[in-house]
Amino acid sequence: MDRLMKILSLALPLSLALTPAPGEAAEALVKITAPAEGAKLDSMALTKLVYEVRPGPKGDHVHVYVDGKEVGILRQLKGSYTLEALAPGSRSICVKVVNKAHVPIGVEQCVKVAVE
Amino acid sequence: MLPENFAYALTQVVHNFGAVAVLGSAVFALLVPVAVPERVARLAAAGWVLQIASGAAFGGVSFYYYGRLPDLHTIAASALAVKLACAAGGLVLTLALAARGRVWAATRRRAAWWAVAALAAAALTAAAFLRWFA
Repeated sequence: MDRLMKILSLALPLSLALTPAPGEAAEALVKITAPAEGAKLDSMALTKLVYEVRPGPKGDHVHVYVDGKEVGILRQLKGSYTLEALAPGSRSICVKVVNKAHVPIGVEQCVKVAVE
Repeated sequence: MLPENFAYALTQVVHNFGAVAVLGSAVFALLVPVAVPERVARLAAAGWVLQIASGAAFGGVSFYYYGRLPDLHTIAASALAVKLACAAGGLVLTLALAARGRVWAATRRRAAWWAVAALAAAALTAAAFLRWFA
């Protein structure tokens, strides 16, 4: 019991010291630059997704989704990703920040596009 | 350091040692003649149990902190299915080796250990795809 208390008394200050202070880490965000919300896209053309991400303290990388299905993994925080040809109709393209275990942390942006 | 990272890291420690146990036990059983082979089989079975439990714990940690499981790409989901199949097969085989291995013919016992080693190697390979294709 004494040994356990000793370990806890060492671990607690260490964990506090390693915890970032509020505001120390930048807020996470996702910005989709292209395609724009409501854009009309050609179903025969490849669509270029242009994005910028700040993963924040909990995020690690981002996933790309089309209509809720994961289609890509992006490890660059800023850049572009070419989506495979999209089927005609209304489509939702999302970029979500995920943690190292690939769990979305709740920071995301989605755009709705019309594919013709 | 975020508490969730600590939880993931501890789970990873258990998962890693489970991986060492399943492959290491099988290779050891194939290379070294031992007086009590049941002990090696029990160690391997314990390794598979650790693998299954810690694998589930990864999902549990995610669910605890985010209320959801990881998002997996098709390739990663396939890799997870391979891992689950390997773990189920490996556990059954090692439990059988622990319980009945002594009365099996040497060739049958050796074939079973080769199968356990192959399942462990396949699970480790699938783990890499699960990690990087998710």
